Amino acid sequence: MVATGDTMPDSLIGPDFDAAETEVISVRRLMWLRFKRNRLALIGSIVLVLMYLAAVFAGFIGPYGLRETHEKFPASAPLLPRFIDDEGNFSLRPFVYAMESKVDTKTFKRVLTSNTEVKHYLHFFARGTPYTILGFIQTDIHLFHVNEPAKVFLLGTDKQGRDLFSRIFYGAQVSLTVGLVGVSLSLIFGTLIGIAGGYFGGLFDDVSQRVIEVLISFPQIPLWLALAALIPPTWTSAQRFFAISIVLSLVNWGGLSRQVRGMVYALREEDYVIAARYASASNWRIITKHLLPNTLSHILVIATISIPAMILGETALSFLGLGIQPPMTSWGLLLNQAQHTRVLIQQPWLLTPALFVVATIISFNFLGDGLRDAADPFAN
Amino acid sequence: MAQYILRRVIAILPTLFLITIFGFLVMEAPAGDFVTSYIVRQYGHGNTEAARIEDELRSFFALDRPVYERFVTWLARFAQGDFGDSFDLRRPVRDILNDRIGLTLTISLATFAISWGIGIPLGVYSATHQYSKTDNFLTTVTFVGLGLPDFLLALAFLILGWQLTGEVLTGLQSVEFLDQPWSPAKLLDLIKHMVIPVCAVVITGTAWVMRVMRGNLLDQLGRDYIITLRAKGVPERVIIWKHAVKNSLHPLIAALGQTLAWLINGFTITSIVLELPTIQSVYLNATLQQDVYLAGTILILIGFLVLIGTLLADIILAWMDPRIRYE
Repeated sequence: MVATGDTMPDSLIGPDFDAAETEVISVRRLMWLRFKRNRLALIGSIVLVLMYLAAVFAGFIGPYGLRETHEKFPASAPLLPRFIDDEGNFSLRPFVYAMESKVDTKTFKRVLTSNTEVKHYLHFFARGTPYTILGFIQTDIHLFHVNEPAKVFLLGTDKQGRDLFSRIFYGAQVSLTVGLVGVSLSLIFGTLIGIAGGYFGGLFDDVSQRVIEVLISFPQIPLWLALAALIPPTWTSAQRFFAISIVLSLVNWGGLSRQVRGMVYALREEDYVIAARYASASNWRIITKHLLPNTLSHILVIATISIPAMILGETALSFLGLGIQPPMTSWGLLLNQAQHTRVLIQQPWLLTPALFVVATIISFNFLGDGLRDAADPFAN
Repeated sequence: MAQYILRRVIAILPTLFLITIFGFLVMEAPAGDFVTSYIVRQYGHGNTEAARIEDELRSFFALDRPVYERFVTWLARFAQGDFGDSFDLRRPVRDILNDRIGLTLTISLATFAISWGIGIPLGVYSATHQYSKTDNFLTTVTFVGLGLPDFLLALAFLILGWQLTGEVLTGLQSVEFLDQPWSPAKLLDLIKHMVIPVCAVVITGTAWVMRVMRGNLLDQLGRDYIITLRAKGVPERVIIWKHAVKNSLHPLIAALGQTLAWLINGFTITSIVLELPTIQSVYLNATLQQDVYLAGTILILIGFLVLIGTLLADIILAWMDPRIRYE
């Protein structure tokens, strides 16, 4: 076989080489293969997809509304559906007994007694409290529902008698987005300042580096507390939501910016950048066509890794009463009621939102780890 | 070496100054001042008297002076080691910190020692047995541990402790021991109260140390000098502990910078939740009440400790590794 311009001689490749069997794998596909190899990262991304879906369809999953109170059932322990009735008969369809709350005339304590005569079966995909999805789809169909006077509180209620299970998914809407909004803000700030500093250098670079140095000298939590105290108490809960995202990203962008600057600084002297400069490409073209695409995957990895810290930040701030305010709710705010140890010990179910926080943080950590491997598909 | 240290010390001076300005301004920035928030709280207690003497209160605390003037006076005193007085507690900030630093360091040093003491050996084991069952298990545990916020763990442990012992183990001392001199019984009581916070914080800390140690050691074990050592017939134990581990400690030492500040600001929220008498728990209240000198001093000291810690870490690294010194 005669070697032509673009095929290599057999002697170089080896006798077993068969061009038809070897396919060229694009970098994107290589990244995906890398990512798929990391089992934990896959699990993490599935959990996250489910979490975000649950947040979008919060009204559907929870049987009750965000602000729906059940006055007769304040601080009630979980009322779970059951399959076996008091006489020991099994029923495939879950049911609940209606509970009556009475005040004991001797102890003056509120006692819940169940009325075991009537079984209230759970209705699936049944009509209940109306709600909206994504702000425009109006419906009243719930995953499960039980007719009055029976109630179903999978995770108990808070002291105002609101169903914790339903509220956790409404809280997810805030807790899961605050990190994304915060990260987007620090991506924009961090990338712009990092690229400008790393590419142009000079006075701007010096000043921005000094500012970042001061910012990252302060550990996150004390700084979050100080900045959150700055938010005027008169703001509405939507304004507060954005203010909290800004606080989270203010503390966070410095680190991201430093890493972007470092990468751009190293790429600036690469042959293809110099070649582009000699070809009299504009700075804008060099930045958008050469520097950004080469750093983007790493930037996205850094961003993913910083989301858990932001979610934790929101949880911590709201938990202390400095973050999200009612009527909005978030996981941190739901946990706020668990802050007083006496309350917590009597109503340990108030701690269940913590499980969601932890599951989300761990899943993001898994995802970030997988993305980091995938961003560098040529490494061993 | 001396020249390297001197150069670094001079380089951090401007940053130290910027930190004082920033720390003070952040505390000053919210609308109103300590007197406004004090009056609001007094109203809450049904005391309307405070509102009437608002101006007197303000001049009593010298809050009627302009910000820059107060900053300069305070900075001059700060430089002499006098951090001003707390408005709310009516005591010098210095005394408040002195009262609390002992217990703060007791908890944080215990946590630090345990998490490094467990984390390093486990990390080394994990790296030297890469992809074994134990390693896979430890790596997964590490990931979970990193995702567990210490204050939520502390709450869970509190419930668990109550169910096991019937005691609510908040604070660091039972009431009966509060004003007692130190005795073996009081020490035992302190240790009993330390279990929850230390366990809660140790889990995340250990996970982090393990993860860093495993990653770095794996990196070192793939280097050429390890192959050379093996080829020479050096015992594996010596290769790992004397050569590879020593070289993979670098990032942990670099993190000492954060660790120094962490000793007085780590587990802030755990401190608040468990009502621990530490510096961290005083900080939140001071921030909310705009007790500027107290909150500002703590924030600035934390910033200083990070810088000094980073400097110390750099000096230790330069001492360990001449390549850094002559860069």
